[in-house]
Amino acid sequence: MTRRSRQAAVVACFLAPSLLIFVVYRILPLIWNVVLSFEAWSPLRPATWVGWDNYAEMLQDDDVFWTAFWNTVIFLGSQPIAIALALGIALLVNSDLKGASVYRTIVFLSYPLMTVAVAIIWHLMYNEHGGLINYVLRQLGIIHQPIAFLDSFAWALPSTIVANTWQVLGFFMIVLLSGLQNIPPHLYEAARVDGAPARARFFRITLPMLRPALFLCVVIGILNSFSAFDLIYVMTNGGPGHATELLITYIYKQGFGETRFDYAAALTVAQFAMLLVLTWIAHRAVGGNAGAIE
Amino acid sequence: MRWRRVLSSRFVIVPTVIAVTIVAWNVYVSLHDHGLLQGRVIDAAGHPVGGATVILFAHDFVTQVEKARTHTDAAGAFRFDDNDSHLVQLQAQDGGATSPRITIRLWFRAQDHVLQQPLRLAPAA
Amino acid sequence: MTRRDRRLLWLRHSVLMVISVVMLAPFYWVLKASITGENIYDYPPHLWPVRPNLFNFVDVWYLIPFPRYLLNSIIVSLIAVAGNLVLNAIAGYALTLPFIGRRSVIVLLLSCTLIPFQATIIPAYLITAHLGLLNSYLGLALPLLSTIVCIFVFKASFDAVPRSLIDAARIDGLGELRILLRVMLPLSTPAVATNVVLSFIWSWNNFLWPLIITRTQDMQTLPLGLARFLSYMEDTTAALYAFVVMVLAPGLLVFLMAQSAFMRGLTTGATKG
Repeated sequence: MTRRSRQAAVVACFLAPSLLIFVVYRILPLIWNVVLSFEAWSPLRPATWVGWDNYAEMLQDDDVFWTAFWNTVIFLGSQPIAIALALGIALLVNSDLKGASVYRTIVFLSYPLMTVAVAIIWHLMYNEHGGLINYVLRQLGIIHQPIAFLDSFAWALPSTIVANTWQVLGFFMIVLLSGLQNIPPHLYEAARVDGAPARARFFRITLPMLRPALFLCVVIGILNSFSAFDLIYVMTNGGPGHATELLITYIYKQGFGETRFDYAAALTVAQFAMLLVLTWIAHRAVGGNAGAIE
Repeated sequence: MRWRRVLSSRFVIVPTVIAVTIVAWNVYVSLHDHGLLQGRVIDAAGHPVGGATVILFAHDFVTQVEKARTHTDAAGAFRFDDNDSHLVQLQAQDGGATSPRITIRLWFRAQDHVLQQPLRLAPAA
Repeated sequence: MTRRDRRLLWLRHSVLMVISVVMLAPFYWVLKASITGENIYDYPPHLWPVRPNLFNFVDVWYLIPFPRYLLNSIIVSLIAVAGNLVLNAIAGYALTLPFIGRRSVIVLLLSCTLIPFQATIIPAYLITAHLGLLNSYLGLALPLLSTIVCIFVFKASFDAVPRSLIDAARIDGLGELRILLRVMLPLSTPAVATNVVLSFIWSWNNFLWPLIITRTQDMQTLPLGLARFLSYMEDTTAALYAFVVMVLAPGLLVFLMAQSAFMRGLTTGATKG
């Protein structure tokens, strides 16, 4: 065997296990989902092709789907706010501030926690008797009766969004911080020499140079909205009614609650299509090429 | 030299400290888990009461269930020998007078425990 | 430093302090709820623990099989971490070697990161059922045995090894595996640390997959145990919050010990090799 072909064999062997895992657990399920979404199937009956029936039911007859859809959109809309907050914190923590690493650790501390635990912690925070939020609001005189945040139709979704933001803020901050620290300082020097005010420096230098980091944050934010299952399931389980139902919890309930694997597959494909469209939009918004700087 | 650096890294020290604590705790538990509960009963005036009945209630999910009874000796002291719960209640009775139910929370099941405060009988109203 | 600068510095510190208090408040509240002696569902709650005691932890210890859940979580995480180290290292190394179709494989892997785990749960469940791995440690760890972010972490680290070392090793006649073990890995300890930390945290915190895969109570992992406890006891007892503290402690400990590796791993993964 020549060196070349032996090296090729080695490469194939080295790549095979990982690729196998990804094919079996990522690509194959995706294709399976697409195929399944066009069929009617239950574990007891063989599959029959039904074309667009599942999608028709989903889009026309299923109110819960649309509730979940709009809830997911609202959840998505909160991610840019979280990113902006994280950018603010990153700007404050940047540079050789004394104790910067302590602040960084404190803000980041919430990210590596189990989301189940985060959900229970915030469940306690929102409790109308023993919760910190109601206590603070009443002490400050803002409200006079406790608000049952997680039981009210209006407040449940924003409450879960706040909990999610608390957890994910540290991650956005770290990514943006490393992006900030990669900006060459001579750009700022040149701008200062040219007499540019701080606001212009921020919008003309900082933001454009942060494009790759911002793109990553946006993509993670999108993925987060589609995968906030742990938080919702433990905090409210989609309730009250379906006020906090996200697409992902609805998929779980249809698939493993009602065992309608075919319908859940259609929901999954719809969700994945939404994800792709959003990522593509984000891609164009940061100027293509995943925001990379030339 | 390199061994010393490896040994003093936090990835070795922290697990070692945790392991040592766990072993020490288990040793302590095995030395003190005979299920012994001791205490005294006094009446409303503060005199020890002999021959009073003391009832032991043991924790059973969300309620307390009567487990055992014993009597105090002449000096007003009582003991239970086979408690195997970690959350118990004690109540003393003598004729019509009863003491309030005292809840005792232990660190582990069947921990040997001596009551700090005696059970004080109050006359039935 | 001018007075204006000093005032700005104070302003910066005070804003950061407020943010820190807000970020730490939930931790403190749960810790207080687990050790306080009052009824935590009474209004108004006290800001400081009243008659603090540790007996809630004793209650939790005897109420749920915490050691069993802990053991399950540890075993699954160990399998996931070991698998990740081996699979990611060899895949990352293979990606540094020139071969036909290397670009397409890289593009394929990058596009796989867009497929969130949640888009695969139902077929992944069916596949695992076919393989007979339901309710087993291997089944729990299998989807997590290799992660794309970590492959690129290794690849970036291996790319940074000077070619002269690799060429010298090749001239000495070392095979590819030996090159990986003797040359690449010793120079890539940060990448190894990042891999270990990231794969540990992801497998430790995983909830949806064990929820789907486990069928019996004694195979449940810690997040599942926590969620089940919540559904049995609702929020009627402070023991729940003691359980939360017990569950968070190992994760926090690992994080505090390996902070820099964790943060570095996330940002390296961010630049996508």
